[in-house]
Amino acid sequence: MPSASKPLAQMPDNLAVKIENLSISYKINVESKKTLKNAVMRASRGERVRTRTVEAVKNLTLDIPHGSVVGIVGANGAGKSTLMRSIAGILPPTTGRISVNGRISTLLALGVGFNQALSGRDNIILGGLAAGMSRSEIESQTDAIAEFADLPEGFIDMPVRTYSAGMYSRVAFSVAVNMTPDILLLDEALSAGDAAFKEKSFNRMRQLCAEARTILIVSHALSSLNELCDQAIWLHKGQMLASGKPEDITEQYLKFLNVGELPSSYEDL
Amino acid sequence: MPYSYWLIHFLFRAKLYFTRRTINYFSQTNSFTVLCHILIGLFTFYFAQNCILLGAQSITSGGRLILNQAFPRSLLPLSSAISAARQFLPTLPVYISIVIIGKLVLSDTQLPGFTWNYLLIPIILILLTITSFGLSLLFATMNVYFRDTTKLLSYIMRIWLYASPVLWQPDMLTGWYRAILYLNPLGPILSANSRIWIDGMTPTPSQLIGCLFWAITSILLGGYFFISRERDFAVRI
Repeated sequence: MPSASKPLAQMPDNLAVKIENLSISYKINVESKKTLKNAVMRASRGERVRTRTVEAVKNLTLDIPHGSVVGIVGANGAGKSTLMRSIAGILPPTTGRISVNGRISTLLALGVGFNQALSGRDNIILGGLAAGMSRSEIESQTDAIAEFADLPEGFIDMPVRTYSAGMYSRVAFSVAVNMTPDILLLDEALSAGDAAFKEKSFNRMRQLCAEARTILIVSHALSSLNELCDQAIWLHKGQMLASGKPEDITEQYLKFLNVGELPSSYEDL
Repeated sequence: MPYSYWLIHFLFRAKLYFTRRTINYFSQTNSFTVLCHILIGLFTFYFAQNCILLGAQSITSGGRLILNQAFPRSLLPLSSAISAARQFLPTLPVYISIVIIGKLVLSDTQLPGFTWNYLLIPIILILLTITSFGLSLLFATMNVYFRDTTKLLSYIMRIWLYASPVLWQPDMLTGWYRAILYLNPLGPILSANSRIWIDGMTPTPSQLIGCLFWAITSILLGGYFFISRERDFAVRI
């Protein structure tokens, strides 16, 4: 896959992310078992590897200015997570280019990289190091992050394997949003924790917006997107069908899905 | 593939007979020296084995991290190499203690006392780490494409142990047979290691050239293979 980095000097200063004609496709091996044994057996029979090409994102162009909060909606398999991974530098573009201006913090899956044997406090340090912060930077913020996670007393110094799923996601969310990123990528992370923690998370998100951080949110919680975002895009089968005000996009999306404006559809689809 | 299992079984039987012969040979020489040669050889070989096996699994076992975080992927095999080194280093005091006790208790030991050549050991270990890390990069990449690589590797490592100068001494090979020693990426390093620890002598120039050759070759080959495929990992995992 070709690299598609672009020198930052060519990118306008007001943009945090610039996506130009981005397409991401990859081949998946249709074979049930990817083993050397199967490869040798197949080669001995003169057969070729059966692959299928998946076009996850097709010719997408998007400019995201600094300080904007962009919501991404779309049905399962629309290419939302692939797009986020590509912006984060995890998946390389097949064609086109992505230019990023700033430090990215990702929350694409909760608690990734956490060590089950370490305490919550140690995992905060681990998460910070993984996000590219220095040890002294993280240590100065560890208490604030631990306080934000608001775990029951004493849990922050216990191994995370003893945590409930909710506690685990609280720590993961706290680490991601408190790393003072320039660009924050959130994939289905708004449902972390209970109602009180959700409110706290929303306040923190609003604070990040006020600090002119750039945030990209993938979520099926449309009401949350309407409240937090100032722009939304709708992806369908890898293509951008619409972009604009979040209320308009979510309405179009709901009409497309033919589910109507039910409370449940705004909460979690 | 019944043939391959039969072949592996046959190889193990052959190695077993070979080991018996080795024991017969060793019984004619100083037994404590032989024991020390086997001990330091095994400790060193298992360091390389752990480095390669843990490194080979590191990319596929770190799949979630690779899919969700952007970072240099080579950190995963590198952390495995550090982990293997942390397991290996405590074995050195154990070996030194055994040698000291042996020298105090047994009168017929031929092991040397302290020599300045011991200062070459860190260099040999660095070369061993580079070689093992390079090989772990190669196998880690292979394991992304063929998930049974680590299973196969566990068999390869067993055969590799018998093919390395651990259970036998390098000077048992003479003439053209010595080529076997230098075709093995761990052969020159294990020979040089044994020469310093057991004989108290400086490694021969051919051993040093062999060590350097395999360290450079494996890190360049493994590194190139890994870096050229690194961008594919998030898709293939």
